[in-house]
Amino acid sequence: MKSTISNLTRRRLLASGLAAPFVSAMPGVLTPARANETVKLQFMYPVGVSGDINTIISNMIAEFNATHDGIEVEAIYAGSYDNTEQKVITALGVGEPPALWLPINSSLQTFLGLDALEDITEQAKADDIYDDFIGGFLDTAVSEDRLYGLSFQPSTPVLYYNKDAYAEAGIEKAPETWDELFQAAKALTVRDGDALKRWGLIIGGGWHDWMFEGYCRQNGLVPWEADKVLWDRPESVEALEFWKAMVDAGCMAPASTWQGSANDFMAGSTAMLYHSTGSLTNLRTSSPFEVGVAFMPKRKQFGASQGGGPIMIAKNQSDAKKEASWTFARWMTNTENQAAWSRATGYLAVRKSSWEQPEMVEYLKEVPQAEVAMKQSEFSGAFLQVPAYSRARDTLKSAIDRTLAGEVAPEAALKDATAEVNREIARVMRRRG
Amino acid sequence: MSDATHPAPVPAVSRPAPRPRWRKLARQNALHLLMAPLALLWLSPLIWILVTSLKTNTEVFDQAAGFLPASPKFSNYPSTLSVAPFGTYLINSVIVTATILACQLVTITLAAYAFARLTFPGKGLLFTLFLLQVMFPIYAIFLTNFVTLREMGLVNTIPAMIVPFVASGYGTFMLRQSFRQVPSELSDAARLDGCGHMAILWHVYLPLVKPTLIAFGIISVVTHWNDYMWPLLVTNSEGIRTLPIGLGLLAKADSGADWPRLMAGTTIVVSPLLILFVIFQRRFIDSFMHTGVK
Amino acid sequence: MWLAYALLLPSLIFLAAFTYWPILRSIWFSLHDVLLGDPDIYWLGAENYLRLLEDRLFWKVLGNTAFYTMITIPLSIVVALLLAVALDSKLRGMAIYRSAFFYPVMIPSVAAGMVWVFLYAPGYGPINEALTAVGLPRLDWLYDSTWALPAIMIMAVWKYSGYFMLILLAALKLVPSDLYEAARLDGVSGWQRLLHITIPLVSPTLYFVIIIGTLHSYQIFDYVYVMTQGGPADSTNVLTFYIYQNGFQYQDIGYASALANVLLVFVLGLIGLVAMTLGRKVHYLGER
Repeated sequence: MKSTISNLTRRRLLASGLAAPFVSAMPGVLTPARANETVKLQFMYPVGVSGDINTIISNMIAEFNATHDGIEVEAIYAGSYDNTEQKVITALGVGEPPALWLPINSSLQTFLGLDALEDITEQAKADDIYDDFIGGFLDTAVSEDRLYGLSFQPSTPVLYYNKDAYAEAGIEKAPETWDELFQAAKALTVRDGDALKRWGLIIGGGWHDWMFEGYCRQNGLVPWEADKVLWDRPESVEALEFWKAMVDAGCMAPASTWQGSANDFMAGSTAMLYHSTGSLTNLRTSSPFEVGVAFMPKRKQFGASQGGGPIMIAKNQSDAKKEASWTFARWMTNTENQAAWSRATGYLAVRKSSWEQPEMVEYLKEVPQAEVAMKQSEFSGAFLQVPAYSRARDTLKSAIDRTLAGEVAPEAALKDATAEVNREIARVMRRRG
Repeated sequence: MSDATHPAPVPAVSRPAPRPRWRKLARQNALHLLMAPLALLWLSPLIWILVTSLKTNTEVFDQAAGFLPASPKFSNYPSTLSVAPFGTYLINSVIVTATILACQLVTITLAAYAFARLTFPGKGLLFTLFLLQVMFPIYAIFLTNFVTLREMGLVNTIPAMIVPFVASGYGTFMLRQSFRQVPSELSDAARLDGCGHMAILWHVYLPLVKPTLIAFGIISVVTHWNDYMWPLLVTNSEGIRTLPIGLGLLAKADSGADWPRLMAGTTIVVSPLLILFVIFQRRFIDSFMHTGVK
Repeated sequence: MWLAYALLLPSLIFLAAFTYWPILRSIWFSLHDVLLGDPDIYWLGAENYLRLLEDRLFWKVLGNTAFYTMITIPLSIVVALLLAVALDSKLRGMAIYRSAFFYPVMIPSVAAGMVWVFLYAPGYGPINEALTAVGLPRLDWLYDSTWALPAIMIMAVWKYSGYFMLILLAALKLVPSDLYEAARLDGVSGWQRLLHITIPLVSPTLYFVIIIGTLHSYQIFDYVYVMTQGGPADSTNVLTFYIYQNGFQYQDIGYASALANVLLVFVLGLIGLVAMTLGRKVHYLGER
């Protein structure tokens, strides 16, 4: 049996010859590029919105490779955002990171904590990045005024609504404030005796902490700073009390799952849904009714947190690779590519100039819903960029769930969660020294 | 209930006093009466998978649409296949699962025989050590195994998906239980005929535990055929990846699933297994007719 | 004697490299602050274990795991045994039944999880439709912290009964049929044959299935991962998922290792207990 294995290894290595070049990217060993030598880059990316994205990315990479002598990019599908982050971090741990990767923007501090990211501020300033990128999108990759990535596929949550249900309930326009949202949700809830037939509102589960941060922002609070979370502030408590009131009134589901909530909307089990802009294409084309898209209603102001991710460049690699990586990241986020990517996926184009492209103007006429998220992004900021963000997210989700299930009061839940997460952040920071 | 759930075995030869035909018929029908609805219940998710794989996206959740698609959309299948190089994935899946199974069958047979039929110091302890493999949660060993494989230069190769699974504490345990069920008269007789341990193992034990070997084989193949997390972690190149990774592309995380194509993909991934199972479960039955045990 | 060691050697080489070494490392890691992605580790002593005692979530997760295991495994095994006994015949149609009950094992967990998310949907899901049809109240299933774990348990019975059934079927094939013949001629009823002949004779396999089933409850990870991610309100978070979360999502390898080691000790104890009690009662045909 063992002979089978080693035969396979040999065959594999001969066939691909891929493993060898990357071994050279060992810590501290800088291999200067010789002229005429092709620089090989690995790029790890998740697939978030459609299987076809895999094909689109492959085509983009093929085009890049064909038009750029001396650089060869290998695109590596790495699963979901979580999987991608784990795969990159595991590779970092053995000193062989990919040249570039596309994680969720909240992971910025995680990667900075590992000293994994190349600072690209200077290149970006020398280029048109600071002028042409939409400010809110650029900021998601900024820490202490330094830029560590080029935003590639940003998204925000938006309010989706079932236009048929609106017509039925005689609602003419989407709610603009929390109060209007509450009224609309009540009016849209359908009951048959005791049995609930349709919820007024579902907030996409699994990412409801992301929506919750939006609610905090709408109430005038960015609920985190570089080294702590602020969920125990009155603005935040008030937001959770508002959710609780909607659940108690029976017009909002106390919990849901990410996939389940999208299904519920398409099946007409809920009239309104908070979900990612990334879902626009899927919801729009799979729903048997007309889908409306609106800003998330405001309290003091409009507000949203950014999802989606920037392309990041590894620090631990040769200068030649860094330069090639910049070229690639820059190309992926150029005006034409961003416009095309946005139309294909529903993600938002990061460049102002992309939105002025004729194809894009045409697309917005056809799918005016796409513009809503774009306009809302003006009121948006980065999402929970604290160390240990992943544990922080889970802790907050649990606190929200337990509150909505009636196990604990909003204020107590948020107080405990804040204390727990801040302790954890302190623990992680202590390690960093 | 009792009569229905335990039908009389129908041996091929030497039946004592045949019973009246109508009783046998009643028995069979009672069994079917009980099993058919249960089987249908069990099958309903599969039926849903198949039906959904032929629907359009809007039909899946449209309450007004019927259970069946208005017109079956077979193009979901080619469109699923276009998402990733499924042909390559299929070949890789076959190589990985078949190699794992072949290696496991060798290692577990040898080890199980030692545990079932030989006495040696440290047997109990060693057996527990074998079981450790099944007891330790896999996510706690991912990192170390990744590092080990990298040191061996195996990251991003097909063997990376194979070597961690060559030994099987599970299979050893399963086979040991079966070996211990084999009447010792049989091996005693063989020993008197001058057979060594290897000959006894090959000629006496293995034929008798064929059902267990097949059952283990099916389970091992199913497990590794569907493994997702480990292959995703240790492979990068499309040329060496396996089917579940293609499926992962369709279960997209961000926007709600692409139901028709996810279900088409599921059907594609499961079909080879299902066909294999239908074939093997016949052999599963046939293999007893020749063993002489039953 | 040397033969025995020679026979074990091939397995032991691979177990040493891919099981024992990681376990040893995990013991070492559990005494350190280890960050996934960072080669530097710092000594902590028992701190990870002390954290565990204060970790509210850990105790909840432990409770969930125990609840899941103690109900799902016996239930699946009883279902599997009844199915195996019923299908252990050469009657027409048995092949179809066997396939019908076994196929869920073959469905990739990603897909199976997604299908059950649909089946459990509160509004339009077929399960709620069925409940209403027989006059029972609708449930929110995965959206309700009381029912989410039971929902996953029901699915697990669907997914794994066929698995245990197959193993038990293989064992039933080893039971000499003349035993049944003799019993039947003596007028022993089917139910008593099951209790007094079948169960004792397949007891080694039943014993195997109980132990493996207990260990197999690790598999719940897949469904938690696909369907609920541990929510709502941590009601479906189980130890294996919690270990994954800590090690891979939170990068806290030290703490994840401590959790894994505690789980190992717990499972070893449990298996020891089963071996002491059930293991003694097992009757092997091949041994007098």
